[in-house]
This record gives sequence, structure tokens and C-alpha cells, in this order.
Amino acid sequence: MKFMSSFFDKNYQTPPWLTDKLFKKNLSRRKIIKGALKSAGGATVVAAALSFRVGSAELVSLPEQLSSDPWLTLDSVLHHLLPTSESGPGAKEIQATTYLFNVVHLQPTEQDEIDFIYKGVGWLNGYSQSQLQKSFVELGGQEKEKLLRGISQSKAGQNWLNTLLGYILEATLTPPVYGGNANQVGWQWLEHQGGFPLPNEGTRFYEIPNQQSGLKANKAKNTEKNIDVVNLAAHRELSKGKGKKA
Amino acid sequence: MSYDICIVGSGAGASPVAYSLAKAGAKVLVLEKGPWLTEKEFYKDELAISLRNVYNPKLEDEQHVIEEQYQDGNGEAYWQGEATSESGWSFWNGTVVGGSSNFMSGYFHRLKPIDFRLKSTFGVIKGANVEDWPISYQDLEPYYAQVERDVGVSGKTVDHPNQEPRSTDFIYPPLAEHPISSWIDKAAKLIGYHAVPVPRAILSKPAMGRQSCEYSGYCSSYGCSSGAKGSGRAALLNHAVAGGNCTIKPQSKVYKIATNSHGKITGILYYDGQGRKQTAIAKIYVVACQAIETSRLLLASTGEKFPNGLANNNGQVGKNLVFSAGGTGSGDFNYNELSQQQVNELKQVGPFINRSLQDWYQINDEGFKGGNSKGIAKGGTIDFLFHQNPVARSSGSQWGVDENENDQLVWGEQLKQNLKKEFTTYKTLRFEVFNDWLPNDNCFVSLDDEVTDKWGDAVAKVRIGYHDHDLKVGEYLSKKAEKLLMAMGAKNVSSSVSGYPPSNLMAGGCRFGDDSKTSVLNKNCQAHEVDNLFITDGSFMPTGGSVPYTFTIYANAFRVADHIKQRLQLS
Repeated sequence: MKFMSSFFDKNYQTPPWLTDKLFKKNLSRRKIIKGALKSAGGATVVAAALSFRVGSAELVSLPEQLSSDPWLTLDSVLHHLLPTSESGPGAKEIQATTYLFNVVHLQPTEQDEIDFIYKGVGWLNGYSQSQLQKSFVELGGQEKEKLLRGISQSKAGQNWLNTLLGYILEATLTPPVYGGNANQVGWQWLEHQGGFPLPNEGTRFYEIPNQQSGLKANKAKNTEKNIDVVNLAAHRELSKGKGKKA
Repeated sequence: MSYDICIVGSGAGASPVAYSLAKAGAKVLVLEKGPWLTEKEFYKDELAISLRNVYNPKLEDEQHVIEEQYQDGNGEAYWQGEATSESGWSFWNGTVVGGSSNFMSGYFHRLKPIDFRLKSTFGVIKGANVEDWPISYQDLEPYYAQVERDVGVSGKTVDHPNQEPRSTDFIYPPLAEHPISSWIDKAAKLIGYHAVPVPRAILSKPAMGRQSCEYSGYCSSYGCSSGAKGSGRAALLNHAVAGGNCTIKPQSKVYKIATNSHGKITGILYYDGQGRKQTAIAKIYVVACQAIETSRLLLASTGEKFPNGLANNNGQVGKNLVFSAGGTGSGDFNYNELSQQQVNELKQVGPFINRSLQDWYQINDEGFKGGNSKGIAKGGTIDFLFHQNPVARSSGSQWGVDENENDQLVWGEQLKQNLKKEFTTYKTLRFEVFNDWLPNDNCFVSLDDEVTDKWGDAVAKVRIGYHDHDLKVGEYLSKKAEKLLMAMGAKNVSSSVSGYPPSNLMAGGCRFGDDSKTSVLNKNCQAHEVDNLFITDGSFMPTGGSVPYTFTIYANAFRVADHIKQRLQLS
């Protein structure tokens, strides 16, 4: 990735830390989700594995950052991916940018992933300049759509967009203390009843004392290998929701 | 300081021993690898519980190697290991004081009398290492009753064909039930099934210094913030510590049990929170760190008398590991096909379904091809549940297909429509099938030659082979469950049964038995080869039964605790 200059680099390969995100797609239509084979309640789940890096000394605030890249463009992309409309709240109301900002600056996210998110901004604007001689934020809605459709045809572009979409879903549906789901607007929109007690500042997952994980996420199960190889154990179709409680 | 008992681990197998012995006056030391969290650190936070998995080790630090079977180009089968830091498939289930019992759903079904004598009841199954237990249901029954009382199990007994004998009734009444429970009851009656209430290790009323359930709707794998869930920590260790005889040392990672030239244990070696090597000394040693890690610790504990690992001179340690066979299934209730009242009932969040089917705990059906000539075989249990985690439910909503049926990302209005449809137009009722995972020669724990943990010690390598019989039983039961969902009017009914192990349901590896050639422990769960070593987690089980393990682990640990008390001449 270091040497890439665009989403369309032929040498791009999905890095291992990201591969597990692809299972989201597999989940609904492909074979085996072994990570899901755990307890039904929680681990079936296997949502994205967002890995991370321990906190950040450089505490910066989003408003200061929004006027320039990468956050200027990221904010614009998130708003395009989940627009505010009559059908429900968008990235704006959900505060998806704030959530993503916290993923980068507060949650212990792996540096590789942060680099990928940031580099995608450069590649997107490079593509935008080459196609339309404007940066992404200067484009109209239809142009943005066309451009994002364009990059989604590349593997790297698809991965980048899927990463952002994954965080939009998290922003919509995780407890508000993480920065998204403002005033539970996501839960209200989707008629979901959150649990209680909810975490507050001071009790977010990366603030729980003496954590085992040392603030490092465990990756969800990547199952690409088992799809490619004839696995004797994998002769039965599994689907979303596979897993058991204890 | 010297202790009477040193226990490695603090979960369902460890906590009853700590509780019972401390209460009887013994000085107890508990060594737990993870931190000591309390109700104050448990929130209904999907990020913490599943998306970021913060209650377990980072896999790069501590992991397993999982061996699966593949076919080469010539169709020859071979076993290939993969480190879980590569695959992301975690086999950790709660590395905190109280262990995985903090994160259990607490479905507390007892084993039934036939579970103790599968071999003599159903005969030998080729390719499986089934053995009868050296104890009977009647030996364990008083301890199930004790768990119901001391850990706190809420439930009620009803007459049904597979009801096991009970000496006492439930002390704690059933938890509040979701309206769909009566839908299940009605449909079951219609098609001749017996839907039975599920006892849960969750307090339905305040007791023993703990609060009752708050019905947040997020139970199952979430840590309990009210103290109602009967984790070993909330129900037992807190009392043991309060009594003054129990010391818990969290963040203490045991790496070896040392023995001398006579084969006698000289101490437990562990790393403390600062990574320093420490030694704990006691009269009696108890190991209970969940099946895989217990076998790993014994295998790593070589000594002059135990060149192949502690208590392993007959090569039995790590063998006959079992998981839970079976599978899962589901059916959808579409709101547009239901009355407003039915929709309102379905949408309720908080109360428990608490229904199971055990009509085929023993299959007796000539149509069943997996049994003997009369179609008789051991069957299992079906439980019903809802999933609650919303981020998990949403994942996949960003995928669609283009005109050529290729996967493509969707966003904008399409994404919003997908989400709205996913969350607001139907509700999925799920079931889980539990049947015996037959012990076999391809399911065992050994030490990996290459991969080590962050302290430099060899990690456990786990071969996860299963017996085809398990799939036949699982499929038979799944079809029965599907029939109930269809009778309830569910759509899109499906199930999946596979040979993949659920990594949170494990037992065996140090099975108990009367013959030291084929077992690690005697009927008191004391090592045949080591006088003052007991193993009290699920490792002792020669066969696992067809229900989740935690209840039986608790009951057996109380039973062994009684034996240890007698031995120490405590009352």
C-alpha cells in the first residue's frame, strides 16, 4: 500500500487486517463463519474486526480538523453514503464523522487501518481531479455518486468504502457515548431498544480497568481459506446466525 | 504463605471449590490469569462484548493453533494447523475473575440418567470413544440441587416425558417470560411436542446479597450489571472472599505445576501482573482453567516422573476433548402477516423465551438412520432465543448485487431502505440444537511446536475432528425444531448443522474413569497418578451430554469439593 498512488493499482491486495471485513459479505450468502460459532448471543455476531492502536496523545478536536483534509473529504463521503432525507436520519444526525474521528483518535485502532482510511482520501481526490478537475468536496451529488461508483469497481476502493460503511453502521447502532447514534437517533430510527446500563464516559470499552486484551481487538474469523480449499469439515452450508449459547 | 488449597482458574469449575472449602475453614488461594472486574465494569455495550472482545486476550499475545482436516489434490485427507492470530477464531471465553461464567447465557438443564451410561445404553459407535461415567445421576443429583440453591437457578418443573428425577423443587420462581413463549407452547401442543420451561442461572428475585434480573434484554453473552446472573464470581467467589478465607490473585498466569523426583507437586509456578515469576504452595492443588487450557497446563508440566506432562504417563491428557454438536436454525415472523397485537407482543424486549424441547433426548424412531436397527440413539435438546446485537444485525445491509449478480456495495437511499427493512419489518426466532459431540481420536489437545504465548510458553494445539454421527443427530433434531417454527407460522425457516465446534462449549481432555489406562482422573476427579491434584472444570467429562456444560461443571465441582473437605477432615 505504501507505494500505491490510486485505488486502481493492479498490485493492490487486501491486507490481512482488513480481510475479516469481507466476511460481512460472506455472512449473508456464503459458507462458513467460524467466528460465529461461538455463543449465539454475542459472538454470532462477528462484526467487523476493527483492530486498533492504543489511544493517542495528540488529542485534537473534530471542528478544528473539519476544514481541511482528510476530515473535510471524509465528512463529505460519509454524508453522501448515508444522506439525510425523509427516509430517516443521515450521517449528519447520526454524527458518523464524530464517531469515525473517535475511532481514529480515541478507540485503540491499528495504525494500518488509520493509514488506509487517510490514504483513501488522497486517492479519491486524485481520481476526482483526474476525472473532473475538482476535489471531491467541490462536486455535486450526482458527480460524487459517479465517482464513488467508479472507485468501488476497484478492490482497494471497495475495501475503503466498505470500511467507511462499516463504521457508519457502528455509528448508527452503538451506544451514544462512542460519538455516533446521537441521542439514540439511530436506535429510534430503526426501532431498536438499547440495553441498560449503557457505558458512559469513563466506562467505554477502552477505559475498563485491567483489560485482558490490552486494548487490542481480536479479529473476526476470516474464512476465505476454507472457501477456496476443499475442507472436509465444511461440506455443509452455514449461514448468518450460526453459533450457540452456553 | 502456605495455603490448604491452591486453585488455578476462577470460573464454574473453580469457584464451587473455593466457596465450599473457604466456608469450611480452609485457606484458599485462587490464581486467575485475567483481571478482577465487578458489576460496575459490565455494560450493555456491543463494542465491548463482541465487536472489540475486550474481556479476552489479544490473540497475538495468547492464542491457539487449530488443526482442521483438508483434502490434497489426490483426495487424501490431511490435518493442517492454523494459528488463531491468523484466523481470528478465538477460543477464549472470558479471561476475568469468574471466567466464562460471567458471559454465559445460563441455560441450566441437568444431565439425565442416560448421559452417565451412553455406552451401556446405546452400545459402541464405531470411531467414537464413548465410555460410561464412573458415577451415576444419583451421585450428582444432590449437587445439582445445591447449585440451584447456592448459585441461584430460576425455573419450574413440569411433567414431561424426559423429566429427570429431582429431589427438590426450584427455590427461585421462573423469570418473566416473553409473549412468544406462549406462541411456542401453543404450536408445540398442536403438533404433539412438549415445550418445557428452561431453568436459568439468573435470579428472579433478590437473594444472597445479589439483585434480581433487570430484564435489559441484553443477557446471554453480556456481563451482568445487576449481579443476578450466577457467575462464579457473583454467586460464589464474592462470598468466599468476604468470609476471610479466600485470596484471589488476578492477573496471575500459571505456566507450570512443578514436581519433585518422587512425583510430588512442589508448587504452582506463575507470572504475576508485573511478569515476575512466583510460586504458590498448598496441600491440595486444583486445576480448572477450562478444558483446553487445563490440558495444556498439564502437558506443559513435565518433571522427572512425568516426562510427557503431569498425570500423563498413560498418554491420556488432552485426549477425548469434546465440544457441543448440533447447530442452529431460525424462522422469521413478518409483521405484515400478523395482527397489531401480535406485532406488539413480538417486539417486546426484556423477558426471556425460556423454552426448550427435549422430546428427542433419546431418539426412538425407525425412520432415523443414525441409530441402531430400531432407530434408537441418543438425541438432544433444542432451545429457543432471540438475538439482540444491532450492529451484527446490520452487517450485510451494505451489500447488494448488480445486474450480473455480482456483489456490490450499496449506499445512500438503498442502504437506508435495507436497514429499515432489516430492523422494522420482521423478527427472527432462533433455535440452537445441543447434542453429544462424540469423543474421537481426532479431537484432542497437544502442545504446539512453534507458536508460543507472550511469556514464551508453547500454546495449545487443538485438533477439532468430529464424528459423522453427530451431524445425523443434529440434523434430525433441527428438522424437529423447524417443524415447530413452521407450526408457529414462521417464514424463511432454515437450519444449519456442521462439524465445526462452538468454541465456548468445551469439555473433556482429562476424563474420569475407573481405569487409569484410559482415563486421567478417578471418580473423585483426582489424578490417578498424582495424589494431591484435582481437576474440577469440564475436563473430567468422558461424554458431554446434550445440554450446555456450565450447570454440570458447577455441580461436579461442588461434589469434588465435598470429597476434598472430607480428606482435609473439614466439615
